[in-house]
Amino acid sequence: MPDLNLSGTASVLIKIAAIIGLVVYNIFAFIVIKQVNLMTQTLEVDLEKTIKGVAVAHFIFSICVLVYALLM
Amino acid sequence: MPDLFVSNGDDQKSQAPEAETQAVSKSKIQETTENPKPDEKNADIPRTYNPLGSFNYYPRSVNFENKDPQEKVILFLRAHPITNLGWMSLTFILAIIPPFLTALPIFENIPFKYTLLMGFVWYLFTFIYAFEAFLDWFFSIDIITDERIFDFDFYNLTYRRVTDVNIDRIQDVTVAIGGGIGTLFNFGNVLIQSAAEIPEIDFFNVPQPDKVAKVLREMRLEEEVERVEGRVR
Repeated sequence: MPDLNLSGTASVLIKIAAIIGLVVYNIFAFIVIKQVNLMTQTLEVDLEKTIKGVAVAHFIFSICVLVYALLM
Repeated sequence: MPDLFVSNGDDQKSQAPEAETQAVSKSKIQETTENPKPDEKNADIPRTYNPLGSFNYYPRSVNFENKDPQEKVILFLRAHPITNLGWMSLTFILAIIPPFLTALPIFENIPFKYTLLMGFVWYLFTFIYAFEAFLDWFFSIDIITDERIFDFDFYNLTYRRVTDVNIDRIQDVTVAIGGGIGTLFNFGNVLIQSAAEIPEIDFFNVPQPDKVAKVLREMRLEEEVERVEGRVR
């Protein structure tokens, strides 16, 4: 099995692609929070806090993944 | 010189029954607004206060935009929980794929930091797929109040549609139950023809569609009686 050497140009390209993808994903995760807020304003049943919490936790996790990709 | 302490005590005594009366009246208001009593004719319809429930008859705490203060929510509906089986199964499969993939020989030669990043990205996408599917189900609801029916449609994270029709504009109600799963779990579609600008409102995959149609029929009769008696709000 050939050894996949990801050092050099290939690794830089993969890293840049991952970072661009994750930046776009973070914007999307932020839109999710806004949309959840809008939906919970439109309709109030129990569980709003939990759903908002999950959306925020998802956004924070996506930021952490982006930071990991930057530091990698 | 009057004794201020005695004077205050009298005030407290005189205020206490008033405060008690206020508390009682407040609790009565809450009971009538948040926990209205169901119609005796429909005593066979079970009540549930589960926020994830699909068929909530006289729900306790449901509020929404454009609701009139006097308007009472009679029925709160969502698609039957069994309709979530598809996306739940796919989420489960997506969640267990990475451990099997990383066991492949090709991953032995990829640095661990890249494998870890791929794992994170995989689970981010898996999660957002499941979360969007859940939100789609959770917020796509139908509400029957004593005056109107509402249809909240949540198509995706960026598009939603809210339709409402007055009960007295309803012309025809059709119940459609089809397929093995629908028959087995007793869920189906309730199609409501109206004389409003939007001619049809559809309640998709709601549990106990016959009971929904029955409640709608009673609401229409009640509205008709109110109109004849001149009690229309």
